[in-house]
Amino acid sequence: MTEKNVVIAGFGGQGILLAGEVLANALMLDEKNVTWYPCYGAEMRGGTVNCEIVTSEDEVSSVNKQDADFIIALNQISFDKFLPKLKAGGWVIANSSLVKEIKSRIDINYLFAPITALANELGEIRISNIISLGLLAKISKLTSVEALHNALDNVLPEHRKNLLALNLKALEMGFNFSLAPVAAC
Amino acid sequence: MTKKLTTGNHAIAQAAINAGCDGYFGYPITPQSEIGEFMSKKMQELERAYVCAESEIAAINMVLGACSTGAKAMTSSSSCAVALMQESLSYIAADELPVVLVSVMRAGPGLGYIYPSQGDYNQATIGGGNGDYKIIVLAPSTVQECIDLTYKSFYLAQKYRNPTILLADGLLAQMMEPVEFNEYPYPEIPIEDWALTGAKNRASRAIYSLEPKEDRLVERINTLFNKYKQIEENEVEFEEYQTDNADLIVTCFGSIARNVKSAINQCREKGLKVGMLRPITLYPFPTKKYQELAKTTKKFLTIEMNMGQMVRDVRLAVNGQVPVEFFGKSVGQWLSVEDIIAEIERFNG
Repeated sequence: MTEKNVVIAGFGGQGILLAGEVLANALMLDEKNVTWYPCYGAEMRGGTVNCEIVTSEDEVSSVNKQDADFIIALNQISFDKFLPKLKAGGWVIANSSLVKEIKSRIDINYLFAPITALANELGEIRISNIISLGLLAKISKLTSVEALHNALDNVLPEHRKNLLALNLKALEMGFNFSLAPVAAC
Repeated sequence: MTKKLTTGNHAIAQAAINAGCDGYFGYPITPQSEIGEFMSKKMQELERAYVCAESEIAAINMVLGACSTGAKAMTSSSSCAVALMQESLSYIAADELPVVLVSVMRAGPGLGYIYPSQGDYNQATIGGGNGDYKIIVLAPSTVQECIDLTYKSFYLAQKYRNPTILLADGLLAQMMEPVEFNEYPYPEIPIEDWALTGAKNRASRAIYSLEPKEDRLVERINTLFNKYKQIEENEVEFEEYQTDNADLIVTCFGSIARNVKSAINQCREKGLKVGMLRPITLYPFPTKKYQELAKTTKKFLTIEMNMGQMVRDVRLAVNGQVPVEFFGKSVGQWLSVEDIIAEIERFNG
């Protein structure tokens, strides 16, 4: 089956749902079937939040799955919570600025990247979510930096379009992050 | 047409606007508050009516009032708050008003919680108002159907001057999918012969449900039921999937159909003869279709995200011709494709 799913998780305020919306838009622009499903409820800034994106060549079978092909964890709580959900052979992209580099499973692939520190290099701590999408595009090949950039154009409201250039930098920074120390299992 | 990534809630709200909704009256409740939020902005931009009512009881009665003037009006709510509207729905049915109610199910009973559920099948199709009445109920399964069936809700409400419920759930309302906003495809239905549009140059008229004279009350109810018969004859809609030669037909409604279809595809690959029947109109229920399929299939399996509600209608339709079983979960984790396959294999074995 050609279906793949991605869980993006972190603190409320890290742009988790927005990152998911950008990814889902990119997959739509790639003419794939896609769904986006958020955790919803009494979420708040500083609490935990996550969303799941499923993409398929055929109709999406289920929008909220028991396991995942890819996980982006932007904080420790999300890393701990979702790691058991990762399929064997799957990839976790973890924000090593906030997540301890402990590899408790040997059947999965880890990509630890200091995403918050990278965002600070760009002078905008809030852009860590978009950097993580660049990393995802690189290791998952689900979509491209170009599609993600076009997706941002879809998602950003008019009064935020001035941030497109910075977002493109963030996508490229993630995509070009050196994978040299990362060995696939 | 370009596709747009949209939530179920926003799809419903935008479709209502495209359908020509003149007035939205509502009170917020998760998981459908985004409908009201969207309307609060867009309806005012379009210089149409938006009222954040003081309660759900007030909201549904505002819709009753607006619709009696011939306006296209709607409200949206969820479970425990739709419960509050039941008295008014009976009046609306008796008054024959084209009210559209979007009911986005959350988990009950009581206050329950905001998790997705399909626990309000009975509330929508049977209802809690007094007297003999019926409400048209449409159940979307995808975000695209949220648009298409919102259009249809407005059309059927107007065509039959009957309250119509669009029955979605929290999962469908909150998720996003690429959709196309086609134009409202139905003809406009004239309202001049019944609506309260001002009595200048014509005799005055009134809309009311009180009828003290027995024979006239009987006549009114008979008129209603003649209308329901027409609805049952003309408006049944369902999705049939892989039912050819199926020994087992899985039947479900709403968003869970996505998981069921996927399970059926995988079971077919394993050589199991399984199909799916999904009622899109919950009222009118596709009774004849079930009876037809009961002649060729060996069993039905009803799958719902509740403890077994639609299964009663399936059993009434099948009327003992073949076994009808139920598989469901109340709330919380959505029934997975794997769960459904396991149940199909168990029941088929």
